[in-house]
Formats: sequence, C-alpha cells, structure tokens
Amino acid sequence: MLFRTNPSSGVPIYLQLMEQVKHGIETGALRPGEQLPGIRPLAEELVINPNTVAKAYRELEHEGVIELRHGAGAFVSAAVRGKKGTDNLRAGQSIVAAAVEKLRGRGVTDEEIRRLFEAELAGLRTTGGHGG
Amino acid sequence: MADAFVIETSGLRKHYGPGGQIEALRGLDLHVPPGSIHGFLGRNGAGKTTAIKVLLGMARPTSGEARVFGLPAHVQDASVEIRRRTGFVSDDNDLYDYMTVAEMIRFTSPFFPRWRRDLEERYLRKFELPLDRKVKALSRGMRTKLALLLALCRGAELLILDEPTSGLDPAMTEEVLQALVAHVAGEEMTVFFSSHQIAEVEQIADRVTIIDRGRAVVTGALDDLKESFRRVQLVFEGDAPDATFRTPGVARVRRKGRVLSVLSSAGAEALVDEARRLNPLSVDVAPVTLKEIFLETVTVEE
Amino acid sequence: MLWYKSWLETRWRFVIGLVLLMFSAASTVFTYPEVIKLISGMPNPDLSGALGRRVSETLALARDYRGYVWSQWFRQNLIQMWGIFAVLLGTGGLVSQASGGGAIFTLSLPASRNRLLGVRAATGLVEILVLAIVPPLLVPVFSTAIGESYAVSDALVHGACMFIAGTVFFSLAFLLSTVFSDVWRPALIVFCVAVAVGLSDLVLRDLPLVSVVRLMSGEAYFRTGTLPWPGLAASVVVSSALLYAASRNIARRDF
Repeated sequence: MLFRTNPSSGVPIYLQLMEQVKHGIETGALRPGEQLPGIRPLAEELVINPNTVAKAYRELEHEGVIELRHGAGAFVSAAVRGKKGTDNLRAGQSIVAAAVEKLRGRGVTDEEIRRLFEAELAGLRTTGGHGG
Repeated sequence: MADAFVIETSGLRKHYGPGGQIEALRGLDLHVPPGSIHGFLGRNGAGKTTAIKVLLGMARPTSGEARVFGLPAHVQDASVEIRRRTGFVSDDNDLYDYMTVAEMIRFTSPFFPRWRRDLEERYLRKFELPLDRKVKALSRGMRTKLALLLALCRGAELLILDEPTSGLDPAMTEEVLQALVAHVAGEEMTVFFSSHQIAEVEQIADRVTIIDRGRAVVTGALDDLKESFRRVQLVFEGDAPDATFRTPGVARVRRKGRVLSVLSSAGAEALVDEARRLNPLSVDVAPVTLKEIFLETVTVEE
Repeated sequence: MLWYKSWLETRWRFVIGLVLLMFSAASTVFTYPEVIKLISGMPNPDLSGALGRRVSETLALARDYRGYVWSQWFRQNLIQMWGIFAVLLGTGGLVSQASGGGAIFTLSLPASRNRLLGVRAATGLVEILVLAIVPPLLVPVFSTAIGESYAVSDALVHGACMFIAGTVFFSLAFLLSTVFSDVWRPALIVFCVAVAVGLSDLVLRDLPLVSVVRLMSGEAYFRTGTLPWPGLAASVVVSSALLYAASRNIARRDF
C-alpha cells in the first residue's frame, strides 16, 4: 500500500493519512490484521513529521480502525470490515442460515453440522496443500 | 518538566543603530514545546535571524526575556550551557574555509561531551562528504550538509536552523529535510527552523509561528491552524457592502465588486451566521493553505 | 581545539616572521667583519642634529662588538621588524571574521567570549615571545663563527625587554581588531602610532619621557646594566588595560 501526502493542500496531513488508511481498507489494499508501516519509516519515506504520523495512527486507533500494539507496531483491526467485507459477511450470514435450516430439516444434529463445516474448511486447506 | 518550553520569549525587543532606530524585534512572543518541529516563517528582514541570534547569545536583547531550556539567553554562562545542548546551522553556512571536512569535525567534536560517533559515521556516508577536502572547495549543498552533520552529531536536545535549505536545489532540499525528519524520529529532540519557504514548513513542521516586522502574528499547531482558518466568500447582488464583522478571529476582509472575502482564524460557523445577516446571494466556505495564511497575515504594504 | 585554530590562523605570519628575524640576526652578525673593516679607518664625525647625533653615536658604538650588536640590531632593525610582526599577529579575530571567516560558527559553540578572546590573545603573545627570544639567542651562537663572543644573558634580556615593552603595540592592534571589521585598518593605525613614537624618540632625546622604543631596545640595561623596571611595569599595565578593553568590547558586541 503506497501512501502519498500533499503538504500544500488545505487538508492537514494527518487527516490525509487517515483517509488513505480507511480507503485502503475499503478497497482491500489493507486487510484486517495486516501491519501498517512503522511511524518512523513512514515519516522518513514521506519526509513528513513523525508526530504527524503518530497523530494519524492515534486517531485511527481511537476510531477503532487500527490497533497499536506496544512494541510491535500498528495493525489494521481484525474487527474492522471494509464495506465489501461487511456486505460479504451479511450475505454469508444468510447463506449459512439457509444451509443450517436445510440440514436441520434433514435431521442432522447441531454437533454434526459443526463438524461438517469444520471438515469442509479443513478439507479445502488440505486439498490446497495436496494440489500444491 | 515536560510542560516547560524549550524556547520561550516574551516581549522580546531588539533595536540596532545609534539611536536604536532599526527595530528588528518589537515584542516577540515565542513558545516552543519539546519534541516539536517548529517552523518560524517570515519575510526577509522580518526578524527571524535576529531572534535566533538572541537565543544563541550572539546578540543581546534591548528589552524583554528570552529563555532556552529555561536558562536566560543573555547571561554569558547560561548561554554557554545553552549552546552545549543546541545544534545550530546558520543561513550562510559560514565555516572555516581553510579547514578540511575532517579537521572541522575534529575541531568541533571536543566541545561536546555527548558527541555521537555513530551518527558521525552514518552522516559522513549518507552525505558523501569527502574527508580531506577543504571547506572552501565544497559546493553550497555540501557545506550545508557538513554544517548539518556538525549540528546533528552533538547529541543536542535542540536544533536551531536558520533557513537551512536556502540556495539548494529541490533534490538537495529534500535530502536535507529527509535527514532532519529521520534524525528527529530517532532521537528525542526539538527542532526550531526559520524559513521563508512555505512548502517545506508545511511538509515537516507540526507547529508554526509567523513573524512579521518583529512580532509574532500567527502561532499554533499547524493542523489546528489549517482546521481553524477558513475563507468565507460572500457574493452579493449589488456591490458588496463595506461591512465590519464583530465575530472574533476575523483576520482580513477584502472587497472586490460583488464579492466579499473574509479570512477567519477561528472557524467559519460564527462568521457565517453573522454574514447571513447581510443577505448575500451565496456563502462559500473553503479551507486555507498555509501560503494563504502567510500572505494574508503578513503586511504587504508598509 | 581553539588553540589549534588560532595556530592555523596565525602560523604563516609567525613562520615568516621567525625566518626573517633569524635571517636578520645572522646577517647582523656575519656583516660585522665587513663593517669593522670599513669603519676602522674612519674618525668619529662631528655631526649635528638629531639624526646626525644618532649616526655618530652608532658609529662610535660599532667599534665595540657588543655596542655594534646593540646599536645596529637591538635598537633598530630588530625592534622595527619585530614590531611589524607583533602588530600583524595582533590583528584578526571574531570581528573581522564576522562575514566570511566563520565567526558565527565560532560563536555558536559552547565557549564563552572571554575564552575565545583569551585563546587568541595567548596564542599571539606566545608567538611574539618566541619571535622576541629565539632570534636574539642566535646571536651568541653565530658570534662564535666570526670569532666574537656575545653573552647569552644580554641576548635574553634584550629580547625580554623588547617583548614586554613591545607587547603594547600588539595589544593596541588587538584592541583595534575588536573595533574594526577589516584586518588592515588596525594594523595601519598601529603602524602610524609606532612610527610617530619612533620619530619622537629620535627627536626628543633630551626629554625624560619613558620611551617605548628605549624600553624595547633595553637601552638602560645596555648603558648601565640595570633593567628599566618602572618602564617595563608601566608597559605591562598599559598592555593589560588594552587587552581588558578588548575583552569588554567583545563582550558587549552584537554579531
């Protein structure tokens, strides 16, 4: 994810950074849990004040968009969903609801349904590994 | 201690000349908090260099106070202590022509018990400074880099730069700014730099003071300034009225034909409310760049 | 490192001065055989006027080696040449370096102005002391080569007198260098003062003035063997006062 700031616009640089992070999450350039560049390297790369980067990160953390893990750096919140992500989740929710309905209708117990889903997910991974 | 200002002046005055006719500083108030990169903007002759010279004990104030690290700048012993903890780059990079780069470093480092050998090596490599070349044979950009090296390696808590990028091409300017930002990111320090290049102040400063004719006319965090300065443009059916606004924070009002343009330093809301009473055709609120703030708050005519 | 910087800034003046003065010592000694040959046949002329008296006295003194060295060299060539270098070494410093000499950089260092000035003054004083002592010490050394002898103590005393009294000129140049921003004006002014002093000494021989020139040449010692203590003490006082005034100037100055 490439950041670019324009110091001469009327918009404060920290706001520009915040916008770009949020935009990156929405478009998928930044994924939940992904690490953001460190304050110091980013400030050096963009040649802007490190305090400005710090401020942007602090505000983003305040809004719950990112997490600042002491000593480790800044990470996109796992709980954050991009717009598409939220839509996907909602769609996924109804698909799962429908599938569970159907399975229960056939007499499969909840415990078995859970094992079916886990196996399916595990199976996908295994298949990927074998195919690779 | 965290609340104490690194640089603080109040009512600082400096007069030159036999009768004190040249008033370089006319009551300058400065407050530079620790850890900030503080830009000091002003036109040529506004008093930037004079203020810096007072802070470093090179010139004595006529009246008023100037303190660095809480120490009085005009007292000789205190001033020596201030300079032990401060790195300085002057605007003409006046070093010793007859010394080589290596000799300049060997000359300067013993003055500073906290001299950083590691930074010295790093910057020698990064700036590509030839050790055995005499200062007089260095290009302007190289001399600036050498001056910067000599300032950055002192282990100083404060860096004072007087127009550090003047006379440098854009590529070298960016190198200097990059070195500054990288240094500040890695060390605990405060930077106070004067400039009349607005772009570079906007790029790296987080606080700004604009000085005009020996006085501070605008001061504050750059982000706050950008958020609170607004231009309100009012278009009228007929000629714009010659209105005065009572809302606080109105910095400048311009009238041109049917348009009234108002610069506010305190946001737009209250101003817009007052402006609506004039029944304009349209009200436009726009953000203001630092350049506009500068040009509007600095007097154009004498 | 301030000492090293002072040295770098003054070394050429010092080295050239040292070479010239040493050369002057050598030539004074080695031309003596020629001089003796020239004047041995001459009677003492009876000249009138200040200059005339001086010339006839020099002639009379030259018949004796010690008198020759004193009247030719210590009283004249040496103090004139040394005086020039004492003045030259007193110039320089922060005020003249304010534009283009790195004064602003120097002033941004954690060194008090007193220290900066003190190092410059001390370097200069050491250099003119060396210039005042070493060339005279060559005279006893070279004298043996022409079959004459010259007392080391005489050389040292004359050198010391020249240094102590002549430091007044150094200090005056030093003081003026804290006033003027160019290098040549202090030197020029002090040269004019020195010439005036020298001429007045020549002309006003009979007035009991404490002449700097006579102190520098150690005339009292030459003629009577006693050192001119009051005059030397007065020189020290004057030099100190001038250097102190210089330090006040620098302390008050805005750069």
